[in-house]
Amino acid sequence: MTVYSPVISRHCQAGQFVHVRIGDSFNPFLRRPLSIGPCDGDYLRLIFTVKGIGTKILSEKQPGDMIDLIGPLGKPFYLPDEKSCPVLIGGGIGVVPLLTLDDHIKKAVFLLGVQSKTSLTVDESEINQRGISIASDDGSIGFNGNVVQLFEKTLQQWSGTEKQKIIVYACGPMPMMIALKSVCAKFSIKAYLSLEAPMACGVGACQSCVVRKAKAEGYYLVCQDGPVFDAQDVELQP
Amino acid sequence: MNVDTKVIMGDLVLRTPLLTGSGTFGYGNEYNTLVDYSKLGGIITKSISLEPRNGNPPPRICETRAGGIINSIGLANVGVDAFLNQKVEALPIGKTEVFISVVGDSVEDYTSVVEKLETIEDIAGYELNISCPNVKSGGLSLGGDKEAVAAITKAVRSMTHRFVSVKLTPHYAVIAPVAEAAVKAGADALTLTNTLVGMAIDAECRKSLLGNVTGGYSGPPLKPVSLAKVWQASQVVDIPIWASGGMVNGIDCIEFMLAGASALQLGSVLFADPTAPERILVEMTEYCERHNVERFSNLIGSLEIQ
Ligand SMILES: Cc1cc2nc3c(=O)[nH]c(=O)nc-3n(C[C@H](O)[C@H](O)[C@H](O)COP(=O)(O)OP(=O)(O)OC[C@H]3O[C@@H](n4cnc5c(N)ncnc54)[C@H](O)[C@@H]3O)c2cc1C
Ligand SMILES: Cc1cc2nc3c(=O)[nH]c(=O)nc-3n(C[C@H](O)[C@H](O)[C@H](O)COP(=O)(O)O)c2cc1C
Ligand code: FES
Repeated sequence: MTVYSPVISRHCQAGQFVHVRIGDSFNPFLRRPLSIGPCDGDYLRLIFTVKGIGTKILSEKQPGDMIDLIGPLGKPFYLPDEKSCPVLIGGGIGVVPLLTLDDHIKKAVFLLGVQSKTSLTVDESEINQRGISIASDDGSIGFNGNVVQLFEKTLQQWSGTEKQKIIVYACGPMPMMIALKSVCAKFSIKAYLSLEAPMACGVGACQSCVVRKAKAEGYYLVCQDGPVFDAQDVELQP
Repeated sequence: MNVDTKVIMGDLVLRTPLLTGSGTFGYGNEYNTLVDYSKLGGIITKSISLEPRNGNPPPRICETRAGGIINSIGLANVGVDAFLNQKVEALPIGKTEVFISVVGDSVEDYTSVVEKLETIEDIAGYELNISCPNVKSGGLSLGGDKEAVAAITKAVRSMTHRFVSVKLTPHYAVIAPVAEAAVKAGADALTLTNTLVGMAIDAECRKSLLGNVTGGYSGPPLKPVSLAKVWQASQVVDIPIWASGGMVNGIDCIEFMLAGASALQLGSVLFADPTAPERILVEMTEYCERHNVERFSNLIGSLEIQ
């Protein structure tokens, strides 16, 4: 879905999200958080899969319909410096914020994991244009296996000193994030993870959207302290 | 017609009857680019406890098919000391009236917190949350106990001249005795009501939707319950009632005033529509114009019984 919103498209940074109102009826009641996809001038893209009632209603919007968004919200990805090697790792629809990030990084390795060829979350033309390497669980396209396995295989091509320059940027389902976090920890690779949590306010007012802190007692707010976190700072739970 | 939106409760003058419900408006400034403070009579902060509370395990919020939401935040808050050090500066004092919600597990908890909060200048008062369904000790169990409500209210009353509203749970079949106990102990207002205990299940996954399993049910389905409590209490007490429960539009708010409420707390609605204060004020004014009501305050308790 392409949305005309000069204020958001011109002020957002990769990794931020919008909080989307589904309709005026108060049922479904809550807004839905969606990552800000690639922006083009006054326009931004929202890319989503239909999961339940909210995304279903959103998917039925027609060209010309109005949509109520709050944003840009949350902390963006910290951009890599010239010397580092960014590696973007997306799982399924989690690829969206990484597409936006890719537009801001000159040279990134970009990996995407999907279940199969039929569930690609990016068009094949865009995959080619961005040079994305695909991993599929059923082997129907690209690497046969999951995207974390593809990342481990890719790592073998890098020398020890090169590995130290890698910064991983990732977004995807929780099992993928947990596996990725442990691979990055093993090789002492810096990793930034974009996390999801059910949200009500989206602005840090209600304490709904928490993820456990790794180094201290208590929780971070995904909407305000994230959605992007340094992997070392958060304790991921299945 | 120029409708007068002001409501007066003793020394307290609110420029509109609209307040924000505790816990839905953070520490008062998170929504500052989205909410028009000039449309609010006041804000009520997240409930503050003596010690910081981390709150319940996630997930903490879900929807129900019948409408409305269930939260199991568990009164996560920074605690009174950090509140004083980090949050007071950003309170919207001067933009609107500020009330601080206080919660505890014992009478001493409430008085210790209020004692510290008395050092803040220019706040309008306190709301004593004796009604949260999300904590094991205190909270709802205290709210169910007439003597406890009276003891907490009396103790806080004796230490402040500021406005004190006592917030009760909707879980009483008969609310009159508890309401009367709070009034006798010196409450300036009653807030009716907090959330109902609720629960939601994802049958496909055989999992509860909340980490804490049960939580507080709020939003439109709560409205008839709160409305009944407001009306029942208004029949037996003569202090102002602050309504809380499911309001999403101007007519919801008008109904609460007809049932006896003097002020109206917007809670969950802010999540869906942070512009609700502005919109609701317009809708309430339109109603008054249609019905030749010159002042919002003329609506209070003007329900006609069939
Ligand atoms: C910061 C952030 C960015 C996101 N970006 C995207 C994106 O770009 N594309 C995309 O397809 N999805 C994205 N999601 C997930 C998306 O928010 C959910 O798929 C969506 O809320 C599901 O709503 P529903 O009504 O269709 O599903 P239902 O299952 O009916 O939703 C019920 C409730 O659970 C919440 N919920 C369900 N799944 C999630 C989830 N994974 N994360 C947070 N809340 C959830 C809903 O918001 C709603 O309140 C993002 C989530 C977050 C937190
Ligand atoms: C996420 C959330 C957090 C809440 N936290 C508090 C709280 O800390 N203290 C309190 O007194 N009430 C709390 N409440 C209750 C609300 O203030 C309000 O009384 C209730 O939600 C009913 O009103 P509503 O239907 O308009 O939301 C909370 C409600 C929600 C939804
Ligand atoms: S969604 Fe309300 S604090 Fe994050």
